[in-house]
Amino acid sequence: MTNKASVQSGHQKSAAGKRLSKIMFNDYMNLHQKAGEGAFVVWIAIVVPAELFSGFDNVVYAVPESHAAMSAGKGVGPLQCEKAEKMGYSMDLCSYARIDLGTAFDGGKDSPTMGLPKPHLLVSNNNNCSLLVKWFDIYHRTWGVPHFLLDVPFCYGPQNPRDLDYIVSQYRDLIRTIETLSGQTFHMDRVREALERTSDALESWKRFLKAAASRPSGLTAFDSFVQMAPYLTSRGTKALADHYRLLAEETEENIARGIFPVPNERYRLLWDNIAPWHQLSKMSSRLASLDANLIAASYTYCIGTLEGELDLYEYDGGDPLTYLARIQNCSICPHGLTLRYKAMRSAIERLGIDGVIFASNRSCKVYSVMQMDMLKRVTSEIGIPAVMIDVDHADMRKYSEEQSFTRIEALLELIEDRRKETKQSS
Amino acid sequence: MKNIMDGIKEIKSQGRKVIGCFPLYPPLELFHSLGLVPVTLWGLKDAIPRVEKSDRHVQPYACSVARRLMEFLLQENGSALDGLFMYNACDTLRNLPEIIDCGLSDAGRPLPIFKLHIPMAPPDQTESGAYLRERIERLIRELEKAYGVTFKPDQFRHSVSLYREMRALSKSLETRVAAGFMSYGKFSKIIEEGWFTPVEEQLLVLRESLGDESRKKDVPSTKQRRVVVSGILPPPMSIIRDLENADITVVGNDVASQNRALCYTPTEMDDPADYCMDFYRHHYPCTTLLYTADRRVNAIRELVSGTGAKGVVFIGEKFCEYEYFEFPYLEKVLNDMGVRTLFLDISIDDDENTAAYATRIETFAELMDSAG
Repeated sequence: MTNKASVQSGHQKSAAGKRLSKIMFNDYMNLHQKAGEGAFVVWIAIVVPAELFSGFDNVVYAVPESHAAMSAGKGVGPLQCEKAEKMGYSMDLCSYARIDLGTAFDGGKDSPTMGLPKPHLLVSNNNNCSLLVKWFDIYHRTWGVPHFLLDVPFCYGPQNPRDLDYIVSQYRDLIRTIETLSGQTFHMDRVREALERTSDALESWKRFLKAAASRPSGLTAFDSFVQMAPYLTSRGTKALADHYRLLAEETEENIARGIFPVPNERYRLLWDNIAPWHQLSKMSSRLASLDANLIAASYTYCIGTLEGELDLYEYDGGDPLTYLARIQNCSICPHGLTLRYKAMRSAIERLGIDGVIFASNRSCKVYSVMQMDMLKRVTSEIGIPAVMIDVDHADMRKYSEEQSFTRIEALLELIEDRRKETKQSS
Repeated sequence: MKNIMDGIKEIKSQGRKVIGCFPLYPPLELFHSLGLVPVTLWGLKDAIPRVEKSDRHVQPYACSVARRLMEFLLQENGSALDGLFMYNACDTLRNLPEIIDCGLSDAGRPLPIFKLHIPMAPPDQTESGAYLRERIERLIRELEKAYGVTFKPDQFRHSVSLYREMRALSKSLETRVAAGFMSYGKFSKIIEEGWFTPVEEQLLVLRESLGDESRKKDVPSTKQRRVVVSGILPPPMSIIRDLENADITVVGNDVASQNRALCYTPTEMDDPADYCMDFYRHHYPCTTLLYTADRRVNAIRELVSGTGAKGVVFIGEKFCEYEYFEFPYLEKVLNDMGVRTLFLDISIDDDENTAAYATRIETFAELMDSAG
């Protein structure tokens, strides 16, 4: 067992965590302030390439999904969901959407960030999830705000050049749309600079995630869930690049000093789905008490990669639109089963994963529908155990801790059984 | 309803190849012109009462369309079909091809699966014609290679004319329903069976049905309670009976597997890419065709006012987020017009124990009366 172990375990607020809080606070303050001063406000889906907005003098953007995740993490998810449900929105709809609708139509009340400033433009895309288009259509219809839809083909294999060209053509349309609506001129050089900062940030992000290869792991997936937030709200900024560099350095230093989030780590687990935002602290602590650590998550290892890969796809200084189009699929949901499995298999092998938790999330069908076959492949082809638990990423009313942990504990027993079998056969 | 599997086997016994198309709006004419028999895999409720095989692959919170489609394909290891076609209709359906592929490959009978991305960017925002053209041309090349066939423009033109006629006759049948000369239940059965029938036979059925109905001299009930029905699928037959028992007449149709799919056909032309561009661009608005969002609310308004409907019955396909995101807004729009709305949430097994629905339908009918 590793010595010098921290007496604390699970996901803890580190110096990076405190810095993160400051960045997020500044992001939302800045957003509200600039909007109040007349900036052109865009609401975007999480995989809309936010670096494009840095090409304008005074365009700010908000990310409703990220705000909803934060609301869930702060415990107001169900409250905002109920507001939307009272307006007629079904409980079966995505909880991010319900939180956002509840917040927006109640003027930002009960939001940890006073809500989001009203948009001048909505930009959605349909490769990460198509329902976001429907969600933004509600604002489009209710408030009369223009809605730009980035149409991005789903990937069953690597992106083909014709799809890339099609995406680039839409970026050009988006730029023209913002120029027309805001009266501002677009500067491509600024986007190039922003991309260089994003690329630096992602290089550090990958260094940070690599700390999971250490035994015990230098991080928990819960750390990565929390730390991905500024990637959504601060893409292209120096603050993001600096923060991720310090995050990577701090994590590496901790490993060198023998400080680990789960010092008695016996089970190295992988999480498949969106983070359970309302359970980060509880789930992390309870897992740690079982000497189990979620050391990786498909939700966060996909950031900065191409489809089916784990490694960083770096910006080479070329045409910004081409690069952005190439990474337009850099999340899990736009990928078919083959690509998802390929990336998961790499993560399992590189990080020495003992078992996988598939979080079946009825709020995110696009992530979840195919997990049953993924689970079969992981157990039959890779030969490690896996379980499926029911989770809703932002609505804690749809989560049962006891039921989930009954299955997770069964997973740990399966891992032990497998170890015994391996020992006996050798 | 006739056994779908037997029907498909009968087609195949004639030496014809059958391609199963995922809902909602596949380019049927294109497959037909290549000598294939396209069947659209929705409305499988009667043929697929249980979904045990599907439940091993797809969670229960997928919609009934996806679960039944999956079950149908896994039955007899997919032997009913010679190929599958899917396009980006929704988030759930787009995840299925590889799951199906895994299931069938395990059984040693992989099926060719053809995929198409239909541009969803609004036409006034992004010009996507060239992109769709390239995708259609690629699809044709893939089909030609897979089945050893050759695309012929004159054959395509002929196929278009057949489907054009099929849609026109279906629309005529729909007007018979609105006029009270045909039950909505009977109409729904004819249309549903049509999705699994070669278009040539479908035309015979439609012509015969129209002939039968036109000979009837029944006078529609003066007590008509006029409604529009909206949803992905028509209501289950038990609910249709409840509607008819409550003297409710379906005078307008916004069902995806009925009017939304049948409303529009471009004129005959030789170029399949031009045809598809026209077909999708001018398609009747649907919650799943994302670029039609701006036309959709007006289409519903016009359907209601044009038919003189006093109410709209929304048939909620449980877990269809595309539909569910729109209901509250549409309900408000309709209520502002003085139109009553009834929302029925239909799960996969909601064809039994429908007494609660009957009560709600009767109340809804009375409320329409009180609204004048």
